[in-house]
Amino acid sequence: MRKILAVIKREYLQIVKTKGFIIGTILGPVLMSLFLIVPILMSVVSVAEQENIGVIDVSGKLFAELDKKMEQKLKDGSRRYLLEEYRVTGDISQLKEALNEKVLAKELSAYLFLPTDISEGGEVEYISENVSDFDKTNNIRTALNSIIIGKRLKAEGLDPTKVGQLMSRVHLSTKKVSKRGVEEDTGGTFIISYFLVLVLYMTLIFYGQAIMRGVIEEKSSRVVEIVLSSIRPFQLMAGKIIGIGAVGLTQYTIWGLFGIGFTTYGGALIADVFPAAASFKIPSIPAYIFIYFVVFFILGYFLFSTLFAAIGSMVNTEKEAQQFMTPVIMMLVIPLLLILFIMRSPNSSISVILSMIPFFTPTLMLLRVCILFPPFIQVGGSIVLMALTTLLMIWLTAKIYRVGLLMYGKRPRIREIIKWMRYK
Amino acid sequence: MNALEINKVTKNFGDFCAVRDLSFNIPKGSVYGLLGPNGAGKTTTIRMVMNIIIPDKGTINVLGRNMDEEMKKRIGYLPEDRGLYPKMKIGELLLFFSELKGLKRAEARSRIDHWLERFDLADWKLKKAEELSKGMQQKVQFIATVIHQPELIILDEPFAGLDPVNTKLLKDFMLEMKDKGVTIIFSTHRMEQVEMICDNICLINKGEKVLEGNLNRIKKEYGKNTIVLDYEGEAKYIKDFAGIENIDDYGRFMEVKLKEGEDSQDLLQYLTGKIRINKFEVKEPTLNAIFIEKVGERNEKNSGGN
Repeated sequence: MRKILAVIKREYLQIVKTKGFIIGTILGPVLMSLFLIVPILMSVVSVAEQENIGVIDVSGKLFAELDKKMEQKLKDGSRRYLLEEYRVTGDISQLKEALNEKVLAKELSAYLFLPTDISEGGEVEYISENVSDFDKTNNIRTALNSIIIGKRLKAEGLDPTKVGQLMSRVHLSTKKVSKRGVEEDTGGTFIISYFLVLVLYMTLIFYGQAIMRGVIEEKSSRVVEIVLSSIRPFQLMAGKIIGIGAVGLTQYTIWGLFGIGFTTYGGALIADVFPAAASFKIPSIPAYIFIYFVVFFILGYFLFSTLFAAIGSMVNTEKEAQQFMTPVIMMLVIPLLLILFIMRSPNSSISVILSMIPFFTPTLMLLRVCILFPPFIQVGGSIVLMALTTLLMIWLTAKIYRVGLLMYGKRPRIREIIKWMRYK
Repeated sequence: MNALEINKVTKNFGDFCAVRDLSFNIPKGSVYGLLGPNGAGKTTTIRMVMNIIIPDKGTINVLGRNMDEEMKKRIGYLPEDRGLYPKMKIGELLLFFSELKGLKRAEARSRIDHWLERFDLADWKLKKAEELSKGMQQKVQFIATVIHQPELIILDEPFAGLDPVNTKLLKDFMLEMKDKGVTIIFSTHRMEQVEMICDNICLINKGEKVLEGNLNRIKKEYGKNTIVLDYEGEAKYIKDFAGIENIDDYGRFMEVKLKEGEDSQDLLQYLTGKIRINKFEVKEPTLNAIFIEKVGERNEKNSGGN
């Protein structure tokens, strides 16, 4: 046992001391929170300035109302849009030409051309150097819509305010019911499930490959037989897998602590610094989901890491490993393709069967736990099934690993690998 | 008492038989040479002694006990394929190897310092293995083999890839260990080293024992019918001599083995006047000649049988 401990310690320190690990562990959450915070900041910190907008109102009946509707204010209380009316005195195209000049000379940021037949479907033109300021065009569109629709309603003898009330939309509020009661859910479940499944997928691949690289390094540097003069191959494999797994848990712990800190204080902090963003809600991960996440990570990690260790022992270089890795990676990628399907019908019999397949269980059962907690017999059953499969894989891969470690030269064929398993 | 007893050990890899019914004993305190051509089964035998691979049949006793994992602490092993973790510092690396052998950290640290000092590597303790020259890495490997003060040392092709300086270092090191009473087994196909260092040998070929025993006795058994010849002239005259069993010709130098009962003086008389003889020495055969004769004989027998 003390020997395995020595291997665990070596593997752990070898990775934890690398720059890659330190940067990844610290930078991960920082980047993640930047992704959350920056868009909020961007929406709060407005860069708007006062703008002059010219209006050619051919009918002469719309300008006053439009001027009233476009009353958006800047932070200092002054109007954001200053509308100037240009009356049509002569040729319309000459007037447009003149206004184009003004736009190019930056005297106007834009101008509008309102034809007489707007009510009958005539097109309003918006002319500017920059036509992708959606905030501004949206404001104009809303204002004009309300004026024109109001006019049409009045023409039919209807009261626009009344119609507005009658036309008010139905609000659909999504609430999630579970054993703990009813909670409001505005898409948080979807984001969290997707996020957790992706993190699980990436860490399983990342740490699996770290193990594989470690085994290949031991083989290619020819250090492995010196190590085997002190311990059994199985002890070496176990120590390596546990040591690198401990690195994964360390990383999760750091991220988890950061996450808890962020969800607890982050919202208040943002609200403090930027009062305008106070309404922003940070989605939080319920504790039971986090526990299942760790359980499925540990199980999935043992299942896949033994496979990666066996692959590492079979080959001499990482390049040679590609061919053997493809089926293993496929088993991790297929569940990702099934995410949307499972989300739509988490309790359909296909979803149940798929999530019970041991290689898919870590991602798919976790997904089901996040969305709609499955009957416990299914969760428990999938965990037992996975544990049994993992034991079987450890037994098989240990046999391959033991022989493969001391095999140099040509990459073995499948038939040879099966033969290895029969060696005493 | 024997440091190692191998009894009727057989190991198959699929259809290939790597070691067949092999038995030999190694007396405690001796320097034992395990000889054989490439692919003879030396490394497989050694790996079975180290419990790295398990024999299909037979038993292996080490230092008076059945070989098991616990015994690994009492053995030092330098494999033929050897290396170091490239990214680890020398000090950490040796500490890791010591811990695997069950040494306490404090004890291991002082021994590491002692050995690094002795091999002129003290300044390299904090350097990564990949920064060391090949020769220095080999020294670190020697240290790793003996850091736990083993009673039995097994060296698989220890001289392969060593420069003359490290060759001498290792040879002196082996003799020093021998003086301390440590049993040393080493495998090689370089006969001149075996002749200089070993007390006992075992020659194996194609997984089977060909010859075993005390080196001096083996040489005596081969008798005084080997002649070393330093000559000038055409060698074909020598080959015509009827009483010759075997010739190992180097061009200007030749080792001749006579048939049983032949007199070396007849050969000398036969050669006089035909070639110029600078030296004519009757002696025991070199191990090299025995090796070539024995291995060659076997191979001919086998190919004849097929």
